[in-house]
Amino acid sequence: MLSLRLTSFTHLFSPPSSAVIARRSPAILRRRHHPRPWPLAASFSAQSSAAETQDRVENSKNRVTERVITPRSQDFNAWYLDIIANAELADYGPVRGTMVIRPYGYAIWEAIQEYLNVKFKETGHSNMYFPQFIPYSFIEKEASHVEGFSPELALVTIGGGKELEEKLVVRPTSETIVNHMFTQWIHSYRDLPLMINQWANVTRWEMRTKPFVRTLEFLWQEGHTAHATPEEAEKEAIQMIDIYTRFAYEQAAIPVITGRKSKVETFAGACKTYTIEAMMGDKKALQAGTSHNLGQNFARAFGTQFTDENGLREYVWQTSWAISTRFVGGIIMTHGDDAGLMLPPKIAPIQVVIVPIWKKDDEKEAVLNAASSVKDVLQRSGIKVKLDDSDQRTPGWKFNFWEMKGVPLRIEIGPRDVASGSVVISRRDIPGKQGKVFGISMEPLNLEAYVKDKLDEIQSSLLERAIAFRDSNIVDVSTYDDLKAAISQGKWARGPWSASDEDELTVKEETGATIRCFPFEQPQGVKRCLMTGNPAEEVAIFAKSY
Amino acid sequence: MAGTEAKKTESKKPAAKQSGAKKKEVKKETGLGLTHRKAENFGEWYSEVVVNAEMIEYYDISGCYILRPWSMAIWEIMQEFFDPEIKKMKIKNCYFPLFVSPGVLQKEKDHVEGFAPEVAWVTKSGESELEIPIAIRPTSETVMYPYYSKWIRGHRDLPLKLNQWCNVVRWEFSNPTPFIRSREFLWQEGHTAFATKDEADAEVLEILELYRRIYEEYLAVPVIKGKKSELEKFAGGLYTTSVEAFIPNTGRGIQGATSHCLGQNFAKMFEINFENEKGEKAMVWQNSWAYSTRTIGVMVMVHGDDKGLVLPPKVASVQVIVIPVPYKDADTQGIFDACSATVNTLNEAGIRAESDSRDNYSPGWKYSNWEMKGVPLRIEIGPKDLANKQVRAVRRDNGAKIDIASADLVVEIKKLLDTIQQNLFDVAKQKRDECIQIIHTWDEFVQALNQRKMILAPWCDEEEVEADVKARTKGEMGAAKTLCSPFDQPELPEGTKCFASGKPATKWTYWGRSY
Repeated sequence: MLSLRLTSFTHLFSPPSSAVIARRSPAILRRRHHPRPWPLAASFSAQSSAAETQDRVENSKNRVTERVITPRSQDFNAWYLDIIANAELADYGPVRGTMVIRPYGYAIWEAIQEYLNVKFKETGHSNMYFPQFIPYSFIEKEASHVEGFSPELALVTIGGGKELEEKLVVRPTSETIVNHMFTQWIHSYRDLPLMINQWANVTRWEMRTKPFVRTLEFLWQEGHTAHATPEEAEKEAIQMIDIYTRFAYEQAAIPVITGRKSKVETFAGACKTYTIEAMMGDKKALQAGTSHNLGQNFARAFGTQFTDENGLREYVWQTSWAISTRFVGGIIMTHGDDAGLMLPPKIAPIQVVIVPIWKKDDEKEAVLNAASSVKDVLQRSGIKVKLDDSDQRTPGWKFNFWEMKGVPLRIEIGPRDVASGSVVISRRDIPGKQGKVFGISMEPLNLEAYVKDKLDEIQSSLLERAIAFRDSNIVDVSTYDDLKAAISQGKWARGPWSASDEDELTVKEETGATIRCFPFEQPQGVKRCLMTGNPAEEVAIFAKSY
Repeated sequence: MAGTEAKKTESKKPAAKQSGAKKKEVKKETGLGLTHRKAENFGEWYSEVVVNAEMIEYYDISGCYILRPWSMAIWEIMQEFFDPEIKKMKIKNCYFPLFVSPGVLQKEKDHVEGFAPEVAWVTKSGESELEIPIAIRPTSETVMYPYYSKWIRGHRDLPLKLNQWCNVVRWEFSNPTPFIRSREFLWQEGHTAFATKDEADAEVLEILELYRRIYEEYLAVPVIKGKKSELEKFAGGLYTTSVEAFIPNTGRGIQGATSHCLGQNFAKMFEINFENEKGEKAMVWQNSWAYSTRTIGVMVMVHGDDKGLVLPPKVASVQVIVIPVPYKDADTQGIFDACSATVNTLNEAGIRAESDSRDNYSPGWKYSNWEMKGVPLRIEIGPKDLANKQVRAVRRDNGAKIDIASADLVVEIKKLLDTIQQNLFDVAKQKRDECIQIIHTWDEFVQALNQRKMILAPWCDEEEVEADVKARTKGEMGAAKTLCSPFDQPELPEGTKCFASGKPATKWTYWGRSY
């Protein structure tokens, strides 16, 4: 992420730095209390399905408790780390603070990339690739940039066994190298706008790390554009934060608040920073994406000029914008529950899992054939489906496993279902019998329509739930005392603000909260600053954050 | 590259000198054009093309290049082919950290003879010295395999098949060449673990076939599938297979992509064991395979000409460029509208088409510019075309001009693009095949080498003999070595002698200099 990181007060587990990968001590794992009651037989078709329900209950008694997830309410951070490990999203890297992104976690990142790449190209951007090494002298060219980043730089001083003449920075972001090249490529207004994006890895030598949210190395996209006018640059910066906003709402089911950063929180080297702020399950704010109007700051530092239509030499106006693997962390913390991950269908690597159930060997073939047919039907219709036909695990184990992996829909097929040409479908977001529907016809057109409809329903439901959670945890305040009270309750405070940067720092020191943004959506009416009582033009959102 | 070519200084700008009257005429008219001819000065020509076609830009760090959108799009198109193919094989993408701890790097160094990675070391963070320097990955075996050891417990955890798309750093500094040899490059690296050798062997070939398809079906570059010699194989592996391309202008082979069977070497090194179905402890069998942005450099070298880049339609981000040709009192707006309509029609049909309506450049300048950039097909629309309801299409690969009725546009353009793709392959294959020379004696070998041939020779497959050939051919131009032993083996008559040692030959092997 492009903005400066604030110190996190959360205690974080530090991975071992040794090359030998230590296994997590069993002592760290906590036994789960009060396992969820098994669903009772549904009244619908009770006669035909009661026996199978009984089978499932019996199977669940043999469940092996191999994976344990700390309840969210008990220790949110431990819950988060447990999910990442047990759902096999990521692992600790060999170097302290680094992260291995496993296939399941990477597939979520790929879903994010797929959507954004299309949007970027639709709006006129091209992808390219800049080398990851930046000469230190480049970083030094923009004063506030170097001031903002220098503590976090990873410096290469030895290459191929020899001391380098000039130390090289492993890119923390690419404004400096991009501007170095923009200076060479831009000569005339005809060369503008120049609009590029790069998908890459970046490095920030962080002291405190948290998988996906804050790691030494992370994956991101960074867009960089140059324009002839300040209006064009501003329009671009707003356009990109809007793309991020729509991605968050429509794909990730995360209701972000879009707005402008305060001056204190603005990216080093930028004039204005726009952000999407998401509320996590523990009510902390996560800066999920940023878009910066860089003005002419970098253009002046690097001499990036163009000849305008009147023949005059002018500095370009620039933007940069980014989203990173931090967003994956945001998805986990927004939608997960004590049973594990909960993935919005639109970005789920597996949207439907099929669990065949048989008790006797002579039932197996018919059940597996039916399960395989169902899989083919759904797969052919574009749904991402997984058939878990392993006979090494009980159905009950599988139910818990795929719930933990956050798969939106589960289809259960047993011998009686086969006989009646139907399936049972369970929703991940509604546990127990309420989320389970019996007797859904296996007929292809019907099944496909039903599944797609339910996936859409789940997508909407997750967004609605997240909106409700967010809105019920934002308190409107009009005084500093009210703000302090709201923050101490772990909520976000929304109140009028026109105080100074010093006052803003005071709020942080005294409450731990920072201004997350001045929302684009502003309430009407006269406002008075909650801090000074002076007239205020806008309200700000205050919250503790990652 | 070695010898004379090795001494060439890496140049950021092409030399100012000109050659040929025709070249002067082109430069005079448009300011565009290449200073060097492919046939006369290949190395300088290549350096000039990749810059002028806006594929790369040189950078302040030697051996590091900026991949501009024109080349990044090619990389993305190849990814769009390859990524779904490996997913069909149930290979999954993942991401391992850029940073390697020195301990595991040393481990690989200790166990793999000849493994001496030229790495970049991070020694400081901010103002602080790191307690232990950290390397930036030259490849990912050392980062990944400790996790394979951790994640693989039983036979149900197998096969474990992972791939990653990433950047790697090799701080070697001999003959930096954009795309071909650079300090940082983009690639995919697949790392897979199996319970049996048979499974590993099968996958090696499946992946190699995908690499052949990238080269032959997408880049239109003919390659030869084969096995590397013991001397040339990946040092830590059991055996290495590769697709080998050839650059006729320099007479050099170039390794296009590799698929290695690692055997159990790394499993032993990193203790990657599993409990098999009988409950016994066993080591996994592993593969690793990769292709990189080097593919793009090979394509440029094979297809480019004295006008610039020549792009196969399948990997061209712009397949058709539409250029308005206004004329005096002619209906200029009508011409521009026709250009827009043409682009829209083609785009709707799935063809990647753009128009060049810039009013500060002449049509002639535009022709040269897009030829330099290698766009497969140019469409010109002038007043006569407008009146006749047709367009003029000009092929980049052979300059042929074809008038096409507007009503038949989509069908005809698609045919032309397919024809160009096939023609580029056919021409490249013919040139390469003309360079293949079968020899039987040392004298014939030396002669063929000097004639820049791709030499197919009977060989006894002994490491000392290969080393001896290298020693005997060492010189300004670089030593000859095995390229690969082709899977398609010609008949080896009984009694055939090795060309170099005189011992009984056991196989046919391609030899030559290489990049």
